[in-house]
Amino acid sequence: MAQSLSAECTPLKVEYDSCFNAWFEGYLEPAVAAASSPDARTAYSKRKADEYDQKCGPVWEKYKACVQKAVKDKGLDVLLQQAREEHPLTEPPPLPPPSASAHSSAKTA
Amino acid sequence: MHFFSQTFDFNHPWSHVVIGMWRKYPNPKCSHVISIDVIDRSVDSNTGIIRTERVLGCKQKAPGWIVKLFGGSEDAFVREIIFVDPATQNATITSVNLSLSQFATCFERIQYTPSTHDTTLFSQTAEIQARMALWRSAADGLEKWLAQRFEQNAQLGKLAFTDVLRTLWEERHAQQATS
Repeated sequence: MAQSLSAECTPLKVEYDSCFNAWFEGYLEPAVAAASSPDARTAYSKRKADEYDQKCGPVWEKYKACVQKAVKDKGLDVLLQQAREEHPLTEPPPLPPPSASAHSSAKTA
Repeated sequence: MHFFSQTFDFNHPWSHVVIGMWRKYPNPKCSHVISIDVIDRSVDSNTGIIRTERVLGCKQKAPGWIVKLFGGSEDAFVREIIFVDPATQNATITSVNLSLSQFATCFERIQYTPSTHDTTLFSQTAEIQARMALWRSAADGLEKWLAQRFEQNAQLGKLAFTDVLRTLWEERHAQQATS
């Protein structure tokens, strides 16, 4: 796992990432399977969201506090705020139709 | 504006690609990515969609002229938003540069969707765009300053030459009168 932008946050980051990855790996495939029924999806999502909060919430709070300070110390908080105003990205982007044609291209307009 | 796009298939099922996505770095083939931090994450207890906001720290040597013109340093930071939707089997990564963002933006979108039962389609697009509004206002300012200086100099030039002509011909006339 890559380090944190501040060395002092790296131990918390590693602990948090391990927690998330372990949870996510158990979450993903049953979540795909549960998607066939809306009720099953909601029930599963609720249960797993609670489980995530319970398992990873405490270390997340500590890591978040550390990284928020580091972001501020590096002067990134202002840039982040501007970026969030320009592109909130609070919803998943719409799905573009997958292009079956050109496999790789670069062009200039 | 510059565009870039590419697509290809990974020979792994979608769930394996998405699990691996969180373990892409550190990577000796992408040694410019130094740090990754999750700064926000939510698990939607209704839809099951996970939204993650990350900040990546990169080290990449910029050409000397770019550093001179725009300042900045070797350290560059990128904001990334990742959505994983198990219901539609869709994962998207949107990333925008934070560093030098007042001058130009690099807006990248990556999407992972199932291609076949055990392959995953990766599609990537990027738009790289200088902030034209900024260039336009800077160019307007430069033109305005140049025009003002030109007008001032033209005015002074006219006065200066008027003086030269007056002096020259007053002297000549005076000489003629006395000879």
